[in-house]
Amino acid sequence: MNSNDIKPVPTSQVDASCRLPLLALFGGSALWLVLGLLLELTASLQFHAPGIFSCCPWMTYGRVLPAANDLLIYGFAIPTGLGVMLWVVARLGQVELVLPLVSFAGANVWHLGVLVGTLGVLSGHSTGYAWFEYPRVAAALLLPAFMLVAVSAVAAIGQRRIRDLYPSHWFFLASLLWFPWIYSTAFVFLLVWPVRGVAQAVIDWWFASNLIVVWLSLVGLGISFYLLPKFSGRPLEGRFTALFAFVTLLLFGSWLGIPQGAPVPFWLPASSILAGLLFSVPVLVVAMVCARTVCGAPAGCKGGPFCQVKFGTAAFVLSGIWTVAQACPQFAHSTLLTTFDLGRIHWQIFGFFAITVMGGFYELFPRVMASPLPLPGLPRFQHWLFISGALVLAASLAVAGLQQQSADFILARILPAFRASSLGWTLLFIGSLIFALNVFIMTIVWVVGIIKTVIGAIKAPLAVAEVKP
Amino acid sequence: MKNGFSVFCVALAALGLSWIGLVLGPVLQLGHESLTTVLNSTDPYPIQPAGAATLGLQVYKANGCAACHTEQVQQDGVVCNVVLSAPGLHPDDVSNLLSQLDLNGLTDQEASIAAAKIAAVGGKTEIRVASTGGDMNRGWGLRRSVSADYLYDQPVQLGSVRIGPDLADIGTRQTDAKAILAHLYAPQSCTAGSLMPSFKFLFVTRKVQGSPSPDALALPQAFAPPDGFEIVPTQDAKNLVAYLMNLHVNVPLYEAPFTPSVAANK
Amino acid sequence: MKDPAQSSTDHQENPPSASVSTVPLWIFALTLLLIFLGTVYFDHHSGWFNPQIYSPFENEAQLEAYQPKSGSAAMIARGKQVYEQICGICHGVDGMGKPGQAPPLAGSEWVNASSYNRLAHIPLMGVNGDITVEGKDWNMAMAAMGASLSDADLAAVLSYIRNSWGNKSAMVTPEDVAGVRAAIGKNPVPMSAQQLEKMPQ
Repeated sequence: MNSNDIKPVPTSQVDASCRLPLLALFGGSALWLVLGLLLELTASLQFHAPGIFSCCPWMTYGRVLPAANDLLIYGFAIPTGLGVMLWVVARLGQVELVLPLVSFAGANVWHLGVLVGTLGVLSGHSTGYAWFEYPRVAAALLLPAFMLVAVSAVAAIGQRRIRDLYPSHWFFLASLLWFPWIYSTAFVFLLVWPVRGVAQAVIDWWFASNLIVVWLSLVGLGISFYLLPKFSGRPLEGRFTALFAFVTLLLFGSWLGIPQGAPVPFWLPASSILAGLLFSVPVLVVAMVCARTVCGAPAGCKGGPFCQVKFGTAAFVLSGIWTVAQACPQFAHSTLLTTFDLGRIHWQIFGFFAITVMGGFYELFPRVMASPLPLPGLPRFQHWLFISGALVLAASLAVAGLQQQSADFILARILPAFRASSLGWTLLFIGSLIFALNVFIMTIVWVVGIIKTVIGAIKAPLAVAEVKP
Repeated sequence: MKNGFSVFCVALAALGLSWIGLVLGPVLQLGHESLTTVLNSTDPYPIQPAGAATLGLQVYKANGCAACHTEQVQQDGVVCNVVLSAPGLHPDDVSNLLSQLDLNGLTDQEASIAAAKIAAVGGKTEIRVASTGGDMNRGWGLRRSVSADYLYDQPVQLGSVRIGPDLADIGTRQTDAKAILAHLYAPQSCTAGSLMPSFKFLFVTRKVQGSPSPDALALPQAFAPPDGFEIVPTQDAKNLVAYLMNLHVNVPLYEAPFTPSVAANK
Repeated sequence: MKDPAQSSTDHQENPPSASVSTVPLWIFALTLLLIFLGTVYFDHHSGWFNPQIYSPFENEAQLEAYQPKSGSAAMIARGKQVYEQICGICHGVDGMGKPGQAPPLAGSEWVNASSYNRLAHIPLMGVNGDITVEGKDWNMAMAAMGASLSDADLAAVLSYIRNSWGNKSAMVTPEDVAGVRAAIGKNPVPMSAQQLEKMPQ
């Protein structure tokens, strides 16, 4: 704290400076979340009535599913994470957000990219690489869009009033570095100069795993390392332990992702097995840091943001245990190529990431918009919907996955478990409507407020003018 | 923290290590792979697919077939089976011995010991290598998939979830193009209770003009078009079928060896 | 880290702090232990970056041990090499024969006879005069092309042609060839088709 001589910016001013980019990020992401879950629901209808969309190529399962999955990651998870991140770095630095218009532009280009990508996948122009299906045009939009938001975030970190880096800073900086890195790697090696043969699949696995495991963890943990101490009113239990978790997460987590049994020389899956075993270290350390921080906190949570972040962080630990278990060769063998892994991915996205960022969102949004949420009971309802939806979804996919090999991969034999996933999607979908409702009502209230002010400003001089003569 | 720069360097090194290991390494090792040969032969492998099959992969990709189907055969183990090729001069002794020995599912050493025992009483044997695993039991391939199988695929469509069966060896299992077309048009007409969506949009239903088209699908009554109409595949459907029929995992390679089956020696 | 400029009641709005406590030693110990165990696994199973080691094989020695060395496959592969060097020139690499040069082997009743005896005589002695193959008459001379081959190579060639291009007949062993060669004795003279047909199949 070497720069306390600078006059601190009032927090309300810090919050207000984030308003424009955050509205752009959250507005789009709420829309994409609703649409993405609707598409997931549409896709899972396939398991209830297989012939349902047979005449419409746009609605065939193989196009809807990747479009929906990508909407959840690119449409919802990344922009929402970036939005909460921008606010956290502004708050941590106690400065107004630098270059808000740059991140505002970035957010809009990002959402344009997601739109183009989704239309591309649905119209049959998918690249064919899992979690990287968006065609080249969309990918070329997403990368610069991310960079624009990242510039704003890095600039905000650079301008911070408190010079000490808080642990969340490391996580955020690494995530801002890592996404362009992995995305450009996949872009160059898969779309621009495609490598030959199965090396494509290796790069795609590496990219997807780093996006879903490492990137989401970096952002989600960065948020929860900021919010948990804030809510519990206690310092984060230990800076160096958090540093250790950070380094081991990067070191070991980034080697995950090559599935066992993949048609590649065995040193590649073996590296991922090794990384999976070692991944238990960051998971354990994160669990320890968070438990020590929260333990003995006076504040109860009652379904509020604190509750959400606590649940999200606990879900991270569970997803980490899931990852470690899947790396174990004996266990992996019985779940290979089943929906078991899909369960882990959706648990990672919803159980951990979505619920954590939702905690951040409901904490920051009333402050950033400087007005209370329209229906204060709804976030709690959404929280329970998300928890139950994520649990049902992950559990049904995991159970289906465990049964799948003994059923010789004939899905009709394990249909009940698989159909249960539709219930999970429905619960999540209702939850997403509440999120979207909050974002759009608040936006409308804000826009109406601006219009009123403008009208007032236009009217005011007139009134003065009228009075004068 | 004053040492923010060192934290950055550590992060950069950790991430760079993963990039070197899982991107650069495989690109250098697998990205420059060249043709190999079939085991114990000079036949090149893989064979470049014909134009229709290459175009069919694009249809496969565009419609996201990989969302439900994998193209990778899994293998749990490898065994040696000892097969008698000639009983020799003392067939009774040999058949006595055979009834006492385990001849199937052996390791390489066990197999050579068993072969030596049979040879001692004059029998001639052959040691046949076979892959084992759930996929082999299901008849989805004779060996595991290896990187050489995908040399000509652009993009490589490995898939990650088996909602439907593995397709890596579908060309060996299903040699009837008409049957695959019928399966694409009305999956439930081929497999009752199938969850596969119908790909009707890859077909055209049209009035029969003159004599019926040779391409027209023969479907069971419940799925057939009304009288006077016929269902013919579009070029996309034909290409997709050409691609599927070109998928094989049935030749042995050095890295995935097995003994191909031929007529047994007398 | 509490900012004096802000009201103390609003402590929630202050940036959180992180305590400076050391990392428990057992975490390092655990990490090292896991690294050790993982490296042992990697050492055993990875094939050390060898591009030809796929699971279930763990190393090159094991992969080598499971290569099918003897047996039909190796024999047919050898037969293919010899065939393409010697026989394929006239009979065609595809076994379809060449008009005016040599009759086809694919589907030929001579090749797919129930046993090897007549077939083995052809390369060992040569053939002269009219011969009917698959319903077509041929008239040409074939020298004793196989007389100079070893028993193993000739057996491999015969096994190869009996198991290629759609042919599916029993293999021929080197012992079988040796038996025929012994029966012919020295001084082979090209035979006619009629002479061949008098012999047991």
